[in-house]
Order: sequence, then structure tokens, then C-alpha cells
Amino acid sequence: MKRGVIGIVAVLLLGWGISSVAIAAEPYRIGALFPFTGSLALLGNESFNGAVIAQDMVNEKGGIQGKKVEWVKADGVDPKKAITECERLIAVEKIKLVFGTYSSSLSFAASEIAERNKVIYWEQGAIADNITARGFKYLFRTIARAGDFGNLAVKFTNEVVAPKLKMDPKKIKVGIMFEDSLYGTTVGNSAAKKAKELGMDVVAAESYSHKTVDLSSVAMIFKSKRPDVIIATSYMEDSILFWRQAKEMDLNVKAFIGTGAGHGMPEWAKTFGNEANYIFNIDPPIGINPRVFKGNTLEVLNDFRERFNKKFTHYPATHATAGFMAAHLLFEVVLPKAGSLDPEAVRKAALAVDIPEGGTVFGFGVKFAPPDNPAAGQNLRAIPVLMQWQEQKPWVVYPGTFAVREALMPLPTWEERAKGITKFIK
Amino acid sequence: MDITILQLIINGLLLGGMYALISIGLTLIFGVLEIVNFAHGEFLMLAMYAAYWLFQLYGIDPYVSMLIILPLFFLVGIAVQRVTIQPILNAPPLNQIFMTVGLSMVLQNAALFIWTADYRTVKTTYSGLTLKTAGLLISFPRLVAFLLAMGLIAALLIFLQKTYTGKAIRALAQERKAALLMGIDVYRTYQIAFGIGTACVGAAGAMLIPVFFVFPSVGSLFVLIAFVVVVLGGYNSLTGSLVGGLLIGVVEAFSGFFISPHLKEAIYFVIFILILLFKPTGLFGRA
Repeated sequence: MKRGVIGIVAVLLLGWGISSVAIAAEPYRIGALFPFTGSLALLGNESFNGAVIAQDMVNEKGGIQGKKVEWVKADGVDPKKAITECERLIAVEKIKLVFGTYSSSLSFAASEIAERNKVIYWEQGAIADNITARGFKYLFRTIARAGDFGNLAVKFTNEVVAPKLKMDPKKIKVGIMFEDSLYGTTVGNSAAKKAKELGMDVVAAESYSHKTVDLSSVAMIFKSKRPDVIIATSYMEDSILFWRQAKEMDLNVKAFIGTGAGHGMPEWAKTFGNEANYIFNIDPPIGINPRVFKGNTLEVLNDFRERFNKKFTHYPATHATAGFMAAHLLFEVVLPKAGSLDPEAVRKAALAVDIPEGGTVFGFGVKFAPPDNPAAGQNLRAIPVLMQWQEQKPWVVYPGTFAVREALMPLPTWEERAKGITKFIK
Repeated sequence: MDITILQLIINGLLLGGMYALISIGLTLIFGVLEIVNFAHGEFLMLAMYAAYWLFQLYGIDPYVSMLIILPLFFLVGIAVQRVTIQPILNAPPLNQIFMTVGLSMVLQNAALFIWTADYRTVKTTYSGLTLKTAGLLISFPRLVAFLLAMGLIAALLIFLQKTYTGKAIRALAQERKAALLMGIDVYRTYQIAFGIGTACVGAAGAMLIPVFFVFPSVGSLFVLIAFVVVVLGGYNSLTGSLVGGLLIGVVEAFSGFFISPHLKEAIYFVIFILILLFKPTGLFGRA
């Protein structure tokens, strides 16, 4: 009899123990929707790997309020697959928060499904403007939009190029060239719009197919319209072709600003050697001045970089850092505040986030646009930065607090380059 | 005349020379032998890689490397014809299309596997060299490519008119069965013609690498325009290909400047369609 009682008590205790353990250990299950295979796989995996480090860091501390973070991976190879995988995450896996996606077309398609099911979509790396232009309530994007790249090029022209060249910003002549897919068109049009807003003289805004084998006509148009500044949005092949033909056509301008893709690649500098020097380029904030960081952000960034290198045997670049930044924000700020994965609670917590400049590993702050804003869900404090190729390496030169070097202008003419002379204004 | 107009004409002619150069091999293979070779662009890609690696590994100037690439690609052409085209010579033309499209995919993906998707360029002393005369700018490597296109076309014209093999190729193009009855070794002649066509693409690749760049699918940028040039020229006319190439180059330079760089490809296609509407056999083709 005694034994029986002990047995029952033991069983009860055991049962209680198991259930209490189960409650304590029930993890935060987060959907990870990336192109893990296929043609986008390289940077898709790289982006996710950044987020994996954020997961390691939070789980090592014992998780979020005692709950570990777990990924439920979904492979969105193309927009169609991204949709079905997002549906699977929500319907089968009962996921309440989807983290993704790196590629804009995948993000655009999958976030539609999440919104319809009132599930949070946390976008870490897709930059197409239209993703946050649909008035979605459950969509949040941590990084800057493509249009912000064009705007920054014009702002830099207005605030730095014009004063340095002792020109009235309203008299400065701007030439814009962009490849005619969605990426180039978005950046090019935003630059043209911003330049006109500031009263600049946009002398040419030319688009072209990045698959063209000849850009001499673009160089000729610029030669006849004589812009002081050229703002260019190009992929790799057209950025190489244009700069070569600019040399052949002896096209000279005072400043040349690329806006990501081609002009930011190490291969670009390798192709042109010293002829790549003094070109500007706009990219997400990597290699910024550490004085920007506030609190322990710099330590977090360094910890992330070392952990990433240890786990994946190379140091993280833009994509991995974007993945880390978005996941870290989610795990350290948003979810602890929300207290659960309930989409309404996460939404409320996300909209309440107010991180000033210097508070993330990208240097910029976080403030999501509320649902009544035309860019609902966009991190309005996310910015790209402007770099300049000097000695064939990219150095951040703008905005001021992020800068590690001073911008050198004007761009030497081809004749000056051949003679090895520069006439930079101090 | 306005200096801008003159400069546009020069740019257009130099660009057209490049198009003509790329199309010569195709004129022979597609125009004369009537083999629809969709792998033409990939041969160009391979030639550009050959010139690139000869320069990077052995420091051989691309213009000099042509002496190696020409005979090498002649042999490559013979081998490709022997292995892939010859067995299906009597099959419907559709089979040739499938075969060459397949070959193009295999070559593109093999290149992607071996050399990765990186863009590769060579930097020679004359890469950005521009000749300046009376305010006009002429790119030196483009001028060389233009002159080579002229030279190659002249040499091929003489070869096709004067030599026995040349005459055999033309006989084959006119009527295969009759050529066979006249005692022409049909398979051998096909192989030689395909070899010459491929060698011409090889030369084009070596000429292009100082002004362009190479990556596994670079051929796809050029192959469509090469077909357009050949059809515009009138299928089997080398002179036609030269004129067709130059015409498209000049149209592209002018429409890019006066209308929009965005529309220049569309405009030369409109002109292409118009010419074929009024002269379906192409500029120099005989009905």
C-alpha cells in the first residue's frame, strides 16, 4: 500500500516534472525563409548564416526569457516556391513569425501570404522600395530601400560636392544613368526626383539594358551635355563597359557616384587598378567609423565578426551583417518586449522600438514607419553610406559621423590620370 | 559636318566592325553550310577565355595569341563537327538545333564550373589607348579589330573563290548530292569549313578581350546580333555580313545618341524587320 502511494506520487511528480520542463523549454520557433538552394543560394545562405550567429548568441545566454530560439527552415528558390513554402510554414508548422528573404522578388511574393494570415514578416535584406509601399501591417524591414541609395547620392552632391567645388548646388549639372531593370530604374528615378526637388539641373537621365555590348552612346550624350556629376546605377558588366568607354571617349566629370552593385565590387577595382580610384559608391554601412557606435554595439559587432569567422571560416560582409542585424534586433529588443510570438504583441513591440544612431551594428538607428505612413513597416532610420575608392580600397566618406576618410575631389581627368597628377581641393 | 556626328559615325563603324568580326564564322557555318549553330556564342566565350589565360599565365599578348588560337580552334571546330554535327547531317534541321543548343548549355555550364561566374579582364598597354586626330577619338584596339574583320573577310573571299577546297565548300553549299557526285569528299569538306568558321570565332575572341571582358555567358550577349548580321547580309554573303554589321553598328550609335540608349537595340531590330520586309533575301542575298 505504502509502496503504491509512493508510486502514484512518483508518477505524478514525474508527470508534473515533465510538463513543467516542457513549458520551460518550449522554444521560440521562427520560420527562416531564404533561397537555400538554386541560383540565389550563395547570398541566401550567407544572409541566413548572419542570423544563425545572432541565434547562437541569444541561446548561449539561455534564450529569450528562458526560451531558446529555433529556426524552421523553408527553401524559397523562386517566387512561386517562396509562396508555397511560406504557406507551409504558417499552415503546417504553425509559425507566427517569418524571417527572410534577401531577394526582393521572393520577399515581395512571400510577405503577401504572411500579411493575409496576420503573421509577422521580418525582412532583413531585400531592398526593393515596393515591398514596404503596400501598407502592410505585419511586415517590417530593417535595412534601407533602393530609393534611399539614389537620394543619398543627391544629398552628397548637395552637401559635399557643390560646396567643395565652390558651386551653387542649384547650378550644378547632374547626369544620371541606370540599367533598365527594376533595380536601376528605382534608384535612377529616385535620384532624378530628389535632384529636381533640390533645384539641380538634371541634364540627362538615360537608361540602358545591362546586357548591351556598347555604351559609347551614353558616354557621347554626357560629353555633349557636360554634367558636373554623374550618378550611375549599374551591374558589373555594364559598369566595366561604361568606364572603359568613358576612357575611350575621354569623358571627364568632377564626381562620379555609383550606387551599389557593379561599382562596389572588389572585381571592379581589380579590373581598373588605379583607374578605379576616386570613384564614389553607395552601399550598406560596412567599415564605418567606430565612433558612431553607442553603448556596447561595437563589442557586439566584433563578437559577431569573430564568431562568424570561426563558424563559417570567413569574415562577414554586407549580406551576413544584414542577417545578423535584423535577427539581433528581433532577439534582443523586440521579442523580449513582446513576451511571446503573438503577432499583435510583436507588432506593438516593433512599432515601439526607438533606437538612435549608433545603436545597431550597421551604425544607423531603428524606427519603423507606422501603418498610416506610405512606407509602413520600413525602418526609417536605415541608411546606406557613401564610399570612395582610394588606393583601390573602399573608404567610407559620407555621412560625416560614419566617415573614416575625407572625400577627394574633383575626379582627375583621363589626361591627368595618365600623367599621374591630381588637383584635389583641400 | 558636326564633330559629334563624325564621332558617332566612327563609334558606329568600330562597333559594327566588331559585330562583323563575330559574324564571319557564323556566315560560313550558318550561311554557307546551313548548320544552325547556337553554340556560336560559346565558341566566342571559349576563345576569349583562351586569350585571357594565355595572357595571364604566359604573358602572351592577345594579338599574338591569335597565332595559337587560330589553329587550335580550327582543330576544335573539326572535332566538334566530327563528333556532334556529322552524325546528324542527314537528320531534319530541328535535330541540329537541339544538338547545338545542348552543346551551348554544356559549354556554358562547364565554363561556369571551371572558371566560376567572375568577370575577367586583361589589361594590356593598349587597352584604353585612343588615337586623337582633329578632335576625333579612335579607340586603338577597336580599330585593330575592325581592320582584322576586313582582312579576314578579304582572305576568306579569295580562299572561297580561288582554292579547290574553297570551291568545294561553295559546291557543297549549293547542292550536297551533286557535290558528292562530282567526287568531292563531303564529310572532309564539311569538317574543314566548320573548322575555318570556328577559327574565325577564335580570332574574334582574341580581338575582343582587350576591349571587353569574359564570363561564362558572355556569348549570349553576342550570339543574337551575330544571327541578325548574317541574315541581314543575305545568309551566304561575307560582304553582306560586313555591310550588315557596319549598318547595325552605325544605327545603334545614332539611335543611342539621338533617341535613347534604352531603345537602341529595339531600333536596329525594327530596321532589320523593315529590310527583310522589302528584301526578304537580305542585303546581298540572291533569291
